[in-house]
Amino acid sequence: MSGPAGTHDGTAEGATRWDALARAAARREAVEAGEVQHEYLAFRLGDVPYAIAVDGVREIVRMRPVTPVPRVPPEVSGVISLRGEIVQVVDLRRRLGMPEVEPSRSTRIIVLHGDVGEVSGVQVDGVTEVLRVVESDLRPPPSGESEFVSSICEREGRFVSVMNMQKVLDLGGS
Amino acid sequence: MSGDKAQREFVSEVEDILERMRDDIARLAEGVGAGAAADPRIVNGLFRSAHSLKGLSGMFGFDAMSELAHHLEDVLDGLRMGRSTLDHDGLSLFDEAVTLISSLVGKLDDDRARSDAEESIATLMERVDAWVAGPTESDGSRESEVDLPAAVLRALTEYEEHRLHENVAAGRNVFLADSDFEILSFEEGLSELNEAIQALGEPISTLPSPGESPDSQIRFSILLATTLDRDSLAEQLDLPAEQLHLVFEGEAQPAALTDAAATEATASEVEPRNEQTPADPGPGSEPSESSLKSISDTVRVDIRKLDELMNLVGELVIQRASIRKIAETLATEPATARVGAELEKVHRSLERKLADLQASVLDVRMVPLRQVFDKISRVARRLRVDLGKEVRLDIRGADTELDKLIVEDLVDPLMHVVRNAFDHAIEDPGERESCGKPVEGRVRIEAFQRGNDVVIQVSDDGRGIDADKVLERALERGLVTEGQELSPREILDLVFHPGISTREAVSTTSGRGVGMDVVRSNIAALGGIVTIESEPGRYTTISMTLPITLAIMQALIVGVGSQRFAIPLNSVRETLLVDPQEIQSSDGRELLNLRGEPLLLRRLSREFDIEPSDAGKLSAVVLGIGDSRMGLLVERLEGQQDAVIKPIQGPVSRVRGVAGATELGEQGAVLVLDVSALVEDALRGREAA
Repeated sequence: MSGPAGTHDGTAEGATRWDALARAAARREAVEAGEVQHEYLAFRLGDVPYAIAVDGVREIVRMRPVTPVPRVPPEVSGVISLRGEIVQVVDLRRRLGMPEVEPSRSTRIIVLHGDVGEVSGVQVDGVTEVLRVVESDLRPPPSGESEFVSSICEREGRFVSVMNMQKVLDLGGS
Repeated sequence: MSGDKAQREFVSEVEDILERMRDDIARLAEGVGAGAAADPRIVNGLFRSAHSLKGLSGMFGFDAMSELAHHLEDVLDGLRMGRSTLDHDGLSLFDEAVTLISSLVGKLDDDRARSDAEESIATLMERVDAWVAGPTESDGSRESEVDLPAAVLRALTEYEEHRLHENVAAGRNVFLADSDFEILSFEEGLSELNEAIQALGEPISTLPSPGESPDSQIRFSILLATTLDRDSLAEQLDLPAEQLHLVFEGEAQPAALTDAAATEATASEVEPRNEQTPADPGPGSEPSESSLKSISDTVRVDIRKLDELMNLVGELVIQRASIRKIAETLATEPATARVGAELEKVHRSLERKLADLQASVLDVRMVPLRQVFDKISRVARRLRVDLGKEVRLDIRGADTELDKLIVEDLVDPLMHVVRNAFDHAIEDPGERESCGKPVEGRVRIEAFQRGNDVVIQVSDDGRGIDADKVLERALERGLVTEGQELSPREILDLVFHPGISTREAVSTTSGRGVGMDVVRSNIAALGGIVTIESEPGRYTTISMTLPITLAIMQALIVGVGSQRFAIPLNSVRETLLVDPQEIQSSDGRELLNLRGEPLLLRRLSREFDIEPSDAGKLSAVVLGIGDSRMGLLVERLEGQQDAVIKPIQGPVSRVRGVAGATELGEQGAVLVLDVSALVEDALRGREAA
């Protein structure tokens, strides 16, 4: 008996692990039943988890010096150089109206493919994991949720907001 | 992917060929209109183009296109050989064929459009065949009239024989000119002689001549037709008269059209006969084959590849800067001073080589403006007819070179300006006459290099711009207010506002809604600036000043607060150290006395809303675009750097005053200022956004 339950019987951790296994099995069934599976990149702002569709992500880079740019909306913190490419960085905290924090070791810039080859960077507090989600895991955002959230996905008892990056990057009047 | 690339190359090559064909057809049309015989050189050029087109489209499996090209080739061959004569029907068939092929090339991916076009090709081919089958002029054999040795006659190709007959029929003198050449350099000598003959008549064939010449020399006989007599020909060609043998005596006549056409011959035209060597004489050498070969020593390169190359060079330049830093650090430490000094030496030689590499890559991107100017003169020919005006177009400086990318984007704005000149500036013949001007209007396009810029000026001697009308229109539109004092230059500048026009009526030629404002923004997008000068009733001159290349630039690095910016050095006229007390304020503007002239100042910290540091002294960077000047106040001058401008990607698509950014080694991204926007804003008194 070397199962997970054998080591930490009845603890909270053991329970969530069983829970996770059960969910994984359910998901596998759903996938086998032909349900569409999506991949999301999960990241956080403070302790709050968010996710975006993985297809839109080109790469994830560590925080680096950001050169400020004048005459742009405040959400754009500046530009970075990515191997010679110059890319604007949107500070997601500012975009969502959250208080600013100093960049830490875990701060990352998620580099997104653009619609027409235009690349953008989005600064977040940390990147956590890639989520595999089936359609039935997703539900519409509750009323009153931010306009940038396109759906909610339940994960290990927590709700992860799936963001619509197109809306996040639409700074209007540019 | 590779299929795409091949197709792109195919399309660009076909477009080149079609371009040449349009050109040739237009030149032929002028001749036919004037009642002259078709210039054989142009017909040959067209024949070669059709031949290349056939081969190329066949290779890519566009059979319909290839077949049409094949038919054209047949027709042109008939023209070359005198089996048919060119008329307007024939010309319009060529025109249609070129238009059809160019529309087909534009829609290679659209299957339906393609099959439609292929149908039209089939109908067109039937008409081509019908035209060829029509009445043709046959010229009887006149060999007997020509006093040529049988060996020479046999050596002529069918085409050369035809040209001989044509010239005999036209009553020109035909000579066989003997000339000796040094064996080692006979090719140059021969082509020089052929060129000289071109100017005086027509070289028909070049034949090696047997024996008689000294050891180290080789003798050639050139069969040529001219209206000159033996003595003047000998004098002009600098050959002894006894080496010129008259083989057919034509009627004495004044210099005919051939001569006029001959002087127009361009040096770039490939004369197949020049390439004949003694080892390969006579009938075997097909003119079209040898000329096709000569094209193949150039390589077509996608401009994007050159961009990649340029980027790589730019990155190497940045790496070089890091190496220098390491060398400097090493050199200051006693323990590593020797290594440091050596590294510095290596670095210097690397620097030189890199500069050479950069210059070579840049050089590849450069193309002469000629291609744009040719396009414009073609349009101008059509405009003359459409507008019923007599206008002479002078073009100067077509050899001036610019970055290929700039040249490409220059076509539209330049075309617009030239159309304006033809359409609106030049008056109708009647009106010109009553003003005491020559009936024939003049439009001049002139290009020249000035420092790191290229200036293109379009001037006309037309009606000029009526400042009062412009002002009136600006008042109507609320662009200026009643009683506002404007200098004549400021009034002319209003023309660049949308909605203000240099003309009264809108015509089909210049279109609707597109005005000088679009020209200005197009040119600004290329990092250039447009200025206008005019005197009512006399002239208008529009000048466009453009950087030679966009790929790399010398930049002046300046600092304000904690930030750094790069300024393209080609727009920096000078830099000055400024004591803040020297700055004078007047009417909300800051001015500096620069050698007796007031210089308008702007503070970069204020423009870009940057917290200034307590710097005490300031530096003024005097920026100049065209004749406009302005001083930009910064806190620090941090030296010059090579910089590769990159576009800024991201959600905010355009930032006024910022042209792009560049990576400067470890300093990360540095913004490059858009000097023309800053100068323009300062002169218009526009406040920072």
